[in-house]
Parts: sequence; C-alpha cells; structure tokens
Amino acid sequence: MRLFSLRLKLETLLAVLLILVISSATGTQEENIVSRDEGSEVGRSESSGLDVESLSRDESLSLSSVTSAETESLTSEKSITSEEPVVSTPSIHWDESIGVNEDVSYQFDEKLTLRPLPNNFLQSSFMFEMNSTEFTPGVSSIDFDKYSHYTVFPKVFNSILHTTSARKLQIRFTRGFWDAESWGRLPHDGFKAGGSGVELWAVIEADSKEDAYLKWKKLANLLGGIFCASLNFIDSSKTTFPHTSIADDFELPLFDSNKQLFLLRAALANEPVCTENLTPFVKLLPTKGKSGISTLLDGHKVFDSYWHSLSIDISTRCDATSNICYDHMEANVDVVLHVPSTLSRNEMSIPKPVSGDNLRCDETKFYDAFHCFPKSESTETSYLISKIYGRQLKGSNLISNHPSRVCADVSEDWNILIELNGEYFATDNNCFDLTNNAKNDIYFESSNTTSISKSDDVPVFVSRSLISYGNDRGGLRTVFRNPTNKDVRVKYLEALPWFMRVFLSTMKLETGDEAVEKEELRRLLSSMHYLPAIDRKRPTNLEYDITIPAFSTYVVSYQFEKTLLEFAEYPPDANHGFEVESAVITVVEPVNYQIRTSTLLLVLSTPDFSMPYNVIILSSTVMGLIFGTLFNLLVKRLLTIEEADRIKATSGPKYKLRKLKEKLLSKFAPRKKD
Amino acid sequence: MSILENLQRRLIDAGLLPKFLAALPKLSMLLVSVSVMLMLYLPMDGQFRRTYISENALMPSQAYSYFRETEWNILRGYRKEIEVLSSHSSIERNAIMSSWLEEFGLKTSVYKNQEYGDSLYGVFNAPRGDGTESMVLAVPWYNAEDEFNVSGAALGVSLARFLSRWPVWSKNIIVVFSENPREALRSWVEAYHTSLDLTGGSIEAAVVLDYPGVSDYFEYIEVHYNGYNGVLPNLDLVNIAISIAEHEGLKVSLHGLTPDEMGNGDYWSRLKMISLGTKNLALTGVREVYGNEAFSGWRIQALTLKARGDTNHDVTTFGRVAEAMFRSINNLLEKFHQSFFFYFLLAPRYFVSIGSYLPAAVVLSISFAVASIDSFVNNQYVSMVDSSYYNLLSFIFWAVSVIVCFFLGNSFTYYPQPLLLLLGNVVISTIPLAAPKNLSISEPLAYRLKTISFMYLSLVMTSLLVVNFPLAFGMGLFAYPMTLVMLNNTDNLRLKTRNSILLAISNPFIAFWLFITIVESKLDGIEAIYGLVDAWNKLGSWTWFIFCIGWFPSWILVAISALKVEQVQTEPNSKKHL
Repeated sequence: MRLFSLRLKLETLLAVLLILVISSATGTQEENIVSRDEGSEVGRSESSGLDVESLSRDESLSLSSVTSAETESLTSEKSITSEEPVVSTPSIHWDESIGVNEDVSYQFDEKLTLRPLPNNFLQSSFMFEMNSTEFTPGVSSIDFDKYSHYTVFPKVFNSILHTTSARKLQIRFTRGFWDAESWGRLPHDGFKAGGSGVELWAVIEADSKEDAYLKWKKLANLLGGIFCASLNFIDSSKTTFPHTSIADDFELPLFDSNKQLFLLRAALANEPVCTENLTPFVKLLPTKGKSGISTLLDGHKVFDSYWHSLSIDISTRCDATSNICYDHMEANVDVVLHVPSTLSRNEMSIPKPVSGDNLRCDETKFYDAFHCFPKSESTETSYLISKIYGRQLKGSNLISNHPSRVCADVSEDWNILIELNGEYFATDNNCFDLTNNAKNDIYFESSNTTSISKSDDVPVFVSRSLISYGNDRGGLRTVFRNPTNKDVRVKYLEALPWFMRVFLSTMKLETGDEAVEKEELRRLLSSMHYLPAIDRKRPTNLEYDITIPAFSTYVVSYQFEKTLLEFAEYPPDANHGFEVESAVITVVEPVNYQIRTSTLLLVLSTPDFSMPYNVIILSSTVMGLIFGTLFNLLVKRLLTIEEADRIKATSGPKYKLRKLKEKLLSKFAPRKKD
Repeated sequence: MSILENLQRRLIDAGLLPKFLAALPKLSMLLVSVSVMLMLYLPMDGQFRRTYISENALMPSQAYSYFRETEWNILRGYRKEIEVLSSHSSIERNAIMSSWLEEFGLKTSVYKNQEYGDSLYGVFNAPRGDGTESMVLAVPWYNAEDEFNVSGAALGVSLARFLSRWPVWSKNIIVVFSENPREALRSWVEAYHTSLDLTGGSIEAAVVLDYPGVSDYFEYIEVHYNGYNGVLPNLDLVNIAISIAEHEGLKVSLHGLTPDEMGNGDYWSRLKMISLGTKNLALTGVREVYGNEAFSGWRIQALTLKARGDTNHDVTTFGRVAEAMFRSINNLLEKFHQSFFFYFLLAPRYFVSIGSYLPAAVVLSISFAVASIDSFVNNQYVSMVDSSYYNLLSFIFWAVSVIVCFFLGNSFTYYPQPLLLLLGNVVISTIPLAAPKNLSISEPLAYRLKTISFMYLSLVMTSLLVVNFPLAFGMGLFAYPMTLVMLNNTDNLRLKTRNSILLAISNPFIAFWLFITIVESKLDGIEAIYGLVDAWNKLGSWTWFIFCIGWFPSWILVAISALKVEQVQTEPNSKKHL
C-alpha cells in the first residue's frame, strides 16, 4: 500500500513538527486525539504541498479499485474541519476503534439531479445530506468520558444548536422568478425554497416566548455572521410566531420537559443573494467544493441563473427509547439556467445581434435578404455540463459508502452520457455513480428538447399584487387559481410590516367579478388566525385556510393604510420603497406542496429630507418676530402720536446729536474768538 | 422696529390707505398685466436654464446600443406579418401577437374591455431583478391619428425579443399592445392597478412607441410628455429621451412642431414653445392623445416617442432610442425623484422650473382677490354687519350655484349636449340686456355676490395653480373679464351691452369654445366640449369638473349681480368704520 507508507511518513514528519512546536504535553488523552491531530494538521499542511487532493489524485490512478480502508484514510483527513490545535503527546499509537477502520464511513450523501425544463431551461438540484455523531441530550461532553467529535457535520452548527437550543432550523436564500406555468412544480415540492431574499425558520426550545425570542435573535446574528447575510436585521418587528407548522415528518425532541418548543419565522425580502453567501455555504460541506458534485458550485454560474435557491435544513432527531440523538443536516442548491444563453455567453459575453449567416428565419413566412421572421429556438441540443458550469465534476466525495451520484431526469428523447478520459458511457436509469477521482463530465443530447420528463401538476397558482397605489391607502390582492380537477386546500401565511395597517373588515373573497356569498365563504375560508401589528414591535401575522374548488380562480383582497414613518426610520441609502416579504402558501390537500408569492414594493410617502432645514429657518424667523414684538410690548410705553412727538423733540439720537453739536459749538466758539 | 413705525406713520400721514383702497380696481388690472408680463419675461435670456441629467444613476447612452444589424431583418420580418393584421379583428390580432411574445418567454394575458377595447400585455420577468418593479413598452395598435401603428408594433415585438435576451435587467419589462392610445390604454393602466391577475410589480416608467406606416426610414422624433391634470413626467425622463435621441443623431421636436417650426432658439421661438406648452398641457385629453397620458396619476413617468417623416434615419435608430432609455431607467436605484416634476420646456434643451413660472399664476389669483376686496370695500355697504341678511343670502346663492353646477356637470357626463350648453350660456349672458324690467336685485346683495364670486375663483385658482398651472393660468386669464362687470344701477344701455359682452367672453364654456375655434384649427369647438366630457368620463381628466364647479358658479353669481340693482338702506356696523 503505497499510500499507507506515504501516510506514515507524513505522520512522523508531523510528529516531529509537533514536538518542536508544542513543548508542554498533558498526556492524558493520547489515544483519542491522534486522528484529530493528524486531521487538523494535514488540513493545514495543504500549503506545504502535501495536499489531500494531490494524494487522492495520485490514488485515483487505480480508479474504482480504491478500497474502503483507503477511502477512509483519505477522508478522515479531509472530513475534519479546522479546529483549535489540541494539546497532546505526539504518540503514534493507532487506536483500532477510531483510526482506519474498514467499515467506518461517514454519514454523508450527495446527489446532483439535472432536469431539462421546457424552453431549453435546465434545472440542477444539488443535494447534500449529513448527520452528526450521536450524543445523549443533557449530558455534556466535558463530564462524560467521550470527546466531541465532528465528522462531516459542520462544527459551527453544533455550537449554534447548543447555545440557541434550536431543534430545527431552516435557512433559505432564494432569488429569481420560478415560472411555474411552464416549469411545473418547484424542486422538493417547494419545501426547500424561500421567497425572494432570505428566510429563516427555527423551532426553539425555551421557557417562554421572550426566552425563545432572545435565543432566536442570537441565532439570527450567528447565522448572519456565518453566511455573510444581513440576518442581524431580523428583529421583533420582523419576527412572527406562525401557527402553521413547517411540514414535520417526525417529532422534534424536547430535551427539558419543563420547556416548550416555539416556532419562529422571519424573512428579509429581496435581500440580495450572492457569492458571499455561497462561499460559506460550500465551506460547510465536508467536500468543500474540492471534490464531488460541489465542484460545480461556481458563483458566476449559480447566480447567472433565472432562479436559484440555497437552503439548509438542520434538525435534531432522537431515538425515543435509547435517548440517543443526532443532528441531521440537509443542504440544497437548486439552480435554473437557460442553456442557449449560458452557452452563447461562453462564446460572446454580450448578446449582440447574431450575424446574418446565423439568423434562423421562419421559411414559411416571407423571407429574403432583408426580412426574417425569427424561428423559435432550436429543439435540437447537445451540451456538456462543463460548458454550463464552467467546470468539470472533480472526483467523488469518497467519504461515505455512497459515492457521489449524478442523475438526469429526462424523457426518452434524451441521451445522457458520462464522459471520462475522452470516452462516453451510458446507464439504463441515467444515473451515474462517481466512484473514481478523475474529472467527469455529463453529456446531454436531444433531438427534441420540448419533450421533458413528466412532472406532477402544480396544484395551485398564486399571485399577489398591490392595488391602488395611493399615498395613504392601498390594497393587497391575492389570486388563487386551481388548474386541477380536485379541490385544493391551502394554508396561507403572511407577515406584513407594521407600517401596513390592515383593515381586516375590508377582506373580500371574490370569484370572477362576484363576491362570494356568506355560507360559501364560510365553507371556503376557515380557521383564520390574525395577530395585528404593534407599531415598531410586531408585524401583522395573518394565516387562514382556504379551499379552492377545482378549475376555479378565487381572489382574496383587503385594504390597508400606510403609516407615516419617523424621520430616522427611513433608510439612509437610496431606496425605491419598502419591501413586503412574500406570502407562504402550503397546499395540504390533495398533495403537500409549498409556494411563495413574489415580494412587493410598498411606496410610503417620503418626506423631503431638506425640509427640516427649511423648518428650522422658518420657525426661527417666526420666533424672532414674536420675540421682537413681545419684547417691544414689554419694554415700551404706549403713547399717543402727539406725546411721542413731544418726547421725540426732547430726546432721541437726533436731539442728542443736536445738543452735542450745540455743546461743542459753545465750547469751541469762544476759543475761536480768542 | 422704529423704521417700521416711522413708515407706518408716514403712510397714515399721507393718507395712502384710502387712496390705495380706491385704486383697487386699477391694481387688479395691473396685477393681470404683471402676470402676463411675467410669462412673456420667462423666455428672455437668463430666465431659463439648460436641462441636465439630475439623477446620476441614469447615465443615458453610456452603454452601447445593439439594436441594429440583423435585428433590422427581424424587425422587417415581423413588420411584414403585422402589415396584414390591420384587416384582422382585435381578438385575432392579439392572439397572433401573444403567440409571438410567448415564443421568447413572455407571460401574456389579454385585458378584455368590451367598452374601450382589449389590451394585450406580456410580462418579461427580469432574471436578476426582484420582480417588484417594471418598465412598460406600450404600443397602441392605432395611434393618435388613427393610423395603424405597423412599424410601432413591429418595433414593440422585436424590441421585446431583443431586450429579453439581455441579462442586465433589474426591473421587469411589460409590453402592452392596446387598441388605441386613449381609453383602451388608460383602462389597462387602471386595471393593472386594480384587477389584473398577471402583474409584474409597480411600474416605474413607460415609453409609448408611435411609428405608423411601413417606411424603413424616418426623419425626426417627436416627444410627447403632457399628462392629464397638469401631470408631467419627471424632467429626467424627458431629458434622457432627448439626450439619447440627439446622441443617435436625431432631431427632436416638441408639441408636434416640425424641427423647422421649432425655430432657431431665439426669444420668439422660445415664447412660442412656452405658449404651446401651456396650451397643450391645459388641453390634454381634448387634443390628440398620444398614449403617455394614460399613465398619469399613477406615479408612472411616461412619454411617447413618435416617428415623423421618411428619410435619413433607419427604423432601428428609433428602436435604439427606446433600448437606451430602458437601459438608463433600469439603472435607477430609487424612483424618479431627483429632477423637476413641474416645468416648461422652451426648447428640447431649455426649461423653466416651477419657481420661475409660478408667480405668474399667483399674481393672477391675487388679482381676483383684489377684485373681491374691491367689491367689498369700495361701496357704502362696507359697514354692513357681518351677519346681515345680504351677507347670508349671498352665501346661500353661492352654495346653491355650486350645487346646481355640480349636478349640471354630472348630468352632462351622461347626456352631453354641448350646443344646448353653449346656447344656454349665451342666453344667460344676455341677462343684463334682456331681463325684464321688474327683475332686479338689491345693491348690497349684488356687491356681496361679486365679492364671494371672485374670492371663490381666487381660492380655486390658488389650489389649482401648483398642480395644474396651465389650467389655473388659462382660467384666470379668461375669467378675468367678469371682474370688469359693473353693477347696473343706471340702466344705461351701453353699460348693459358691455356687461353682456364681458359675461359672454368670461363664461367657461363660451370662452373654451371661442379659444378652441380660434387657436385649435384641427378641432371643432362643439366637438371639443364633447371631448372635455369624454376626457372626464373615460380618461380621468378633471378639466370638465373644474370648469363646472370652479369657474361656472362664480360666473353665475356675477351674472346675477349684473341684473338691475335697487338701492337699499342697511344698518351700519357701528364697530367697523374704515
């Protein structure tokens, strides 16, 4: 085993290094820590050229014949996240239970699903799943004879979950327009996508609502730091305690039976999602974008898409009988790209007019050297994934028993091949397990791109818009359209900012142009939950269940009043209005599905900010005038004109001047005579 | 303070106050002439400014425009197909256009309006935007002159196709094909803000394309920007349109003049532009409607680009102006707010802002207030107690006349009878001449009616002059003759004839008819009154109602006061000696 010997050399080298660096040794936990030391140190030794990838690449010469032991030996180095150096004796004992073990593999799984959509769009769903090591709640690792070990599960989340007592955590970064009418259902039935911007949900174990909020605030700040997102803007005026629960497929554990679980939610509408969110996201994965499917996650391509969503779901799962728990994390990246424009951008970054030779004209219509009625996009296509993402798939994850898997969800009109060292291979189910460490590429080919794999019907289309754009009043209009032949029951959840004062009395349910009758309304609209806003403290929380009969369109609308903000509450930067976060629509019957409406832009009356200056000037003038008048009234006597004239004749500057002049004259005059 | 005190004493010593009060009629006349002089003074050198792009983010023509080369072929390809569509019904036409728009990914929907005509619209969702804002490219199938907008529609669809390929958009793009630029487009805009299911966020700006005919070339570009009720688009939008058009080497014309008629930029040409600007803005809705008007009142900055002539510049240049405008508007982070909302253009690159022209209307409105004070002060009834019978009666007269005018105005919106209205007003105008001898009015009431009438008109003008300066100014100018109507206490024929003529020319409807007949050669006076009512009914222009409840009640009160008067003795108010 060439690798093993290399590894041992490496270890000795490191041991020597450690001796040099660390002089004091405790020597108590020698066995346990060996592998960790190695891990952390190897992780760091990347810069000295001994990087894990170079090892794996060397190793990959033998391709799929990598044994699990080797895999393990590699991954144990890779998987461990950078930790603070642990002080230990440089012992090179090999603990059988922790070190290289033929059966050990980490609980990590990754899968990429590529699905062509109508009109030459391509949906890519990156899915990563990982579990933490098992632990017993309530037992701290310090007083237990066990070490905290973070394998594939990001260590940073362990501490976050611990300090904030979050039992479930969902964070969503979504942006773009999901064209449901053409593309069909959202990936993962919409449960992994948020509204435009950032959305955060958490189930927190706490004594009281206040305690839950404090923990929530901490959680938001911590996550904001991790993801470089403005989650610190989440405050009580944006946080809701929704009644509708997020779809739970299992019970969430309660570690302390005296406490309760609280569901909290907040969304920052239209928070820009960009590379600085993706980079920390990728860093959380054990493969860190270096191998496996995460190599494709390039910010340039992910964000040059029509729709993209990054999501992380973490939950604590416990075995009720043994009282042993583990944290489960699922990370998803879903991207929808337009293939022809992405490919043409590789050729020419500006979509200039095509050259005359490349014009595709409709020959059934009038057509000559000057006229060209454009033909629809070609339905023939062939492309490599590396042309779309600018990179090739580099190796597999090699951490778990499941190799990285790439699947193409296509109809029979497509040919999907994997390219490896210039050769192409196909499989029956269009899924490819990446078991090697070479660069792979997926080749897509079709003579009829309009034929795509069938997906389930979208149960309901929902759109929401602002109506009557006045300065003081407005309305919200939500249109529910059920295109299916079954009645659809949905839960509608909406949090509106406090400066929108909703008049629930104006709420109307209409179909066509007619208002729905009272009995019908009761049947359709039920279990309304409404928590009015408190200025600057709490948003309006509106939830209701509504049933949309088959093949029908219903409109729910209501009016609201716009509040005037305080001077300092207007954003300091250039702004075009205030964002209203999207509403969450969860379909509960006949299928489980979730969608969100688009966000809205609310224009509040904005003061002229130079006005205070004018006000100060004007009010100072008025004050001055009033003061002058009052002062005059207080210190001056009121006289008749005759009296005033008489006084004036014997006083005043003129009189005094004359007196002075006389005085001077009388003084000087005699001298002149002398 | 002592200076003021001295001044006051000097004034009293000189007995200026009574002199001043006696000169009120002259002062009122002086103020009117000052107001007109102020307007004439505005086009003088030094009174106007050169336009500038106030919002730095706009950066017009900073990006190279690519709507050229093979896009021209595509445009011609579409145009060839659209040429034949004029014979199709609007439903078929919209269906075909809708299929073309969907081809390149727009979401389309047809807003159905049986009364005013359907509008097809398509929303292009910006890949990088947040979907909360949008820009509108509107193309009426038939333009203001009722010509089939062939090239306009071809430009609309080929531009939409071209723009949808760009990844730069931060705002959605909505393409609207309405049946006409008048009520069809207006009703679409209203529906967009109230009842449409497919929406693309709040509309920030709109560009209306008007390019009838199939010519590949055009000579110059006409920019129309007047909105209803005195609403103008932000000056920045007009500026970017003009600067982009000039950047493309096009000549820009305003107010429907040819570039030659625009003159050489001297005083007289500037005066012509400001007069036309005032007139056209006051008459929006009555004159041709180009399409941009439809967006006024919804905080949407809109203008119409109209191609004229058929030489020199190719049709893609026209498209590039729209393209560059969209690129420029797309750069906006805020709403349009930097530049002026109230202005007059004296030339494409010269303007006067509200601060310069507003005094003209203010002075005019003061002149009415002065006339009102004059008819209160300069007669023996000034010492009448406040709550006297005549004072109260005059208020009742006023209230009744406002209510009557309101109902009259309302009923006219259902049954417009312009000829009857005009004749009726002519008849009322002859009251001083033709009223029976026994029909008379007491003198104090006549004076009070005049007082209240002028004060009311002055208030109406004051509240109107900021939002709709041209209308306030025009109303003031044309209503002014009524302040010259004198009380008929001598039964002199000459006086009665004079009063009748003054009343006739200061009547809102007769004055409007006269003005249209003399100034607007294209319009018929009677038709124009129909137009006023129509503009109120279908387009949301307030001019008709301002005439009916702002101007007309005052005129009626003055007409009543012109009856034969009878002197009466009134009890003087002992406290109020002047």
